[in-house]
Amino acid sequence: MSTSPDILEGLLRAPSGDDAIDRKALAKLLVEIAESLKPELRAERNGVLPNDLQLEQLRSLLVGREIETLSRLTGVVDDPERLAAVIGRILPTAIAQATSDERMGHVLAPVMEKAAESSIRNDPATLVNILYPTIVPAIRKSIGETIDATLQRLNQTLKYSLTLRGLKWRWEAWRTGSSFAEVALKHTLIYQVEHVFLVHRHTGLLIAHVAAENAVSQDPQLVSSMLIAIQDFVRDSFSGAEHQGVDSVRLGELRLWSEPGPFALLVAVIRGDPPEALHETLRNTLSRIHAERHHALENFNGDSEGLGDVDARLRELVALGEHAPPRVGLARMVIWGLVLLLLLLAGTWAVWWWNNQQLWADYLERLRAQPGIVITEAGKRDGKFVVSGLRDPLAVDPQAVLREAGVNPAWVVASWLPYQSLDPQMVLKRLDATLKPPPTVTLEIAGNRIVARGSAPRAWIEEARAIAQSLPAGAPSFDVAGVANADEAEEQRQQAEEQRRQAEERQWQAYVARLRDEPGIVVTQSEVRDGKFILSGLRDPLAIDPLSLLGEAGIDPARVEAQFDPYQGLDPQFVLKRLEASLNPPPSVTLKVDGDRIVAQGEASSPWIVRARRVGNSLPAGAPVLDVSSVRDISEGALGKLRDAIQARSINFDSGKSLPSAGQEQVLDEVARDLNELVKLSSTLHAVTRMTLTGHADSQGQGTSNLSLSMARAEAVRALLKKRGVDPDLLQVRGAGQLEPVADDTPAAAAAARSANRRVSFSIGFEEEP
Amino acid sequence: MTPVLQRKVCMLGGFSVGKTSLVKRYVQSIFSETYLTTVGVKIDKKTVDLSDRSVTLILWDLAGEDDINTFRMTNMRGAAGYVLVADGTRPSTLDVALSLRQRVDAENGPLPFVLLLNKSDLKEQWAIGDAKMEELRQSGLWVQPSSARTGEGVEDAFKELAIRASS
Repeated sequence: MSTSPDILEGLLRAPSGDDAIDRKALAKLLVEIAESLKPELRAERNGVLPNDLQLEQLRSLLVGREIETLSRLTGVVDDPERLAAVIGRILPTAIAQATSDERMGHVLAPVMEKAAESSIRNDPATLVNILYPTIVPAIRKSIGETIDATLQRLNQTLKYSLTLRGLKWRWEAWRTGSSFAEVALKHTLIYQVEHVFLVHRHTGLLIAHVAAENAVSQDPQLVSSMLIAIQDFVRDSFSGAEHQGVDSVRLGELRLWSEPGPFALLVAVIRGDPPEALHETLRNTLSRIHAERHHALENFNGDSEGLGDVDARLRELVALGEHAPPRVGLARMVIWGLVLLLLLLAGTWAVWWWNNQQLWADYLERLRAQPGIVITEAGKRDGKFVVSGLRDPLAVDPQAVLREAGVNPAWVVASWLPYQSLDPQMVLKRLDATLKPPPTVTLEIAGNRIVARGSAPRAWIEEARAIAQSLPAGAPSFDVAGVANADEAEEQRQQAEEQRRQAEERQWQAYVARLRDEPGIVVTQSEVRDGKFILSGLRDPLAIDPLSLLGEAGIDPARVEAQFDPYQGLDPQFVLKRLEASLNPPPSVTLKVDGDRIVAQGEASSPWIVRARRVGNSLPAGAPVLDVSSVRDISEGALGKLRDAIQARSINFDSGKSLPSAGQEQVLDEVARDLNELVKLSSTLHAVTRMTLTGHADSQGQGTSNLSLSMARAEAVRALLKKRGVDPDLLQVRGAGQLEPVADDTPAAAAAARSANRRVSFSIGFEEEP
Repeated sequence: MTPVLQRKVCMLGGFSVGKTSLVKRYVQSIFSETYLTTVGVKIDKKTVDLSDRSVTLILWDLAGEDDINTFRMTNMRGAAGYVLVADGTRPSTLDVALSLRQRVDAENGPLPFVLLLNKSDLKEQWAIGDAKMEELRQSGLWVQPSSARTGEGVEDAFKELAIRASS
């Protein structure tokens, strides 16, 4: 940078008489600052002399013209008026050229804003007048669309606000955070954007076209040009403004909405009833396309290269409409609903009616198939099914068949007359009912016969036979031959039992008869009860034990309950027996019955004979007589002789002596010998011999001493006999003292007599063997 | 989906010069001719395969009118070229065509176009002399007799226009 002092001075010169600041000093100061910051400045400045004349001439020679021009320009620049005039001449051109520069807009925008602001402040009417032709239609259109949209939303809001769906949408709106109107819109739009054309306004050429999948259309190129042509036509025909056009065409349910942009026209072909808000959407899309492809659109000349991705934008629009569900109007829906309902009802009725007919036919079919039912008439009367005929009382209940067939009994009028069917099945039923066969019997139909099989009690079989014979003519025959007699085994068993019982009875009777025959037994009662034999009566203890005869008779003693009271039988045999038992006759005696007597024969001891007589005398009246007369007394024979021999002997004693006097040994020996023999002999006759030794004393001496002397004398003899082999047990001793003298023993008596009284005498007795 | 190259092309010509029948057999169309009398425009399409590219000509068949002042120039907006059609048996239609061209030039600037002298099959009534044709060619016009019936000149014209409009 170089700065001449003149210029500096010139620049520093005060424009007016303002001396408040010393400009020169200030300038110098600035120069010095500059030099101190940039030292080379000083050298440059020092190289040039300020007032070099030659240099001045050279300068004017070389750059005189430039200086002149410069001074002229300086003059222009310095003079604001001239400068304004110069700039004013070139300003429109300059602005026109700078328009392509984006900065121009930035630079001018604030100025324009200020100008507009100031203009409005000065006189608003001016701008209003200017804007009126353009802004009023725009506002009108905008307001109109807004009102339309609002009304539409209001309608929808009112329409759905109180319905279930409305509540559902409110919920959705609350959930998604969107407004109810949006949600309502989303759900109620009934439209589909079928085509979107982006048409170059100037040439009418198609820039892009997107169609919905299901949409059909003619050649979009031709269509788009035609659209432009029509727009032109309308505009020309009705003197529209250049930028106005047909923005909405409606044909049936098709709508054609066009949104004009600066270079391109967006045309949407919509089927249905689009919301006003779609205008906004279309406009937004168009604006975006313009913003993104401004140059390409402006310079479009039929070459759509570079505009390919516009399709994507248009596709968004087509997609926008696609998700709208088709909806039928409420009224139409109601009508359709009613029609549908009526159809449904009619269909249901028809199905029901047909079904009933089928059921009825089925019912009649079922009835006909039933034995014992004869349908004579079937039809319909007064809307009811009527059926009449004959019915066996045992046939199936028509009501039951009705229920089975599924026919409503309330719809049926039935009349049945009773009859007896001869149909084998019915006959079978009747037999079943009357005979009530036991479970073991089955009745079945075999051809024209009814056959009973199984087994049954005889009574049933007999009843069945009786009924079989009483069946009416023409009815199937009833064959009972196949029924086995179920009672046969039982009958056989009973028979066997009876036989056994009778055999037992016979056995029993035989037994009882035998008992009756037994002496000493009186049967007062005999019966068979509950399988037990009950027997009672009287029995002589000596009679045979009735039970002992049971085994012989073949009767189980366990089954016998016998009770016999004891009694004395007067039967001779029993009397004999009793006598035998009581008298216990020795073997030498026999008792036997002879007629109505009992005769004892043989020999016996006299005591036995005495006893026998006594017993014989004590027998009750009516009983046989015991005759003992034929029994001989054994003591009258050999025994008697021995007895007498012994008794005839005595052992003598000296006076006052207790031992036999001398010479008595022989007597003792004889007595001992005879006694032993007697004992032996008597034992053979079942008698016991007993001998009593009686001691005696004479009258001399004291009585008491004589008693003891006599006793001692008896004892002595007993001892002596014992010594001689006599069983001492058979010997009894007694002292008789002086009381049983054999001779007069008075003191006046002879001594010989007294001597005879000093003795031991023998007395023999026979007793029955114990 | 969208062809790489599209061009808007207008069919211009006087009343009853046979524009419609000219394109009828050689283009794709979905709109009926009533559009011409109602809307005044009928759009057709003709795809021309060039060696290095394929060009779809969107043909704006404009209602023909002899009074060119009633012609709606708005339809010409954005056109990359046009086909001028005149009836070779009616020289007046050629004048109409040429004046249309002038109008188009005036309003839209010069655009590529081809000039078809239609109904070339009607030899006896043909009223455009060779001299006139030559004169037109000399003045730089691409001019060609054509016949909707025989198809003469039609494909060539579209091909030429496609080349011119897409270059």
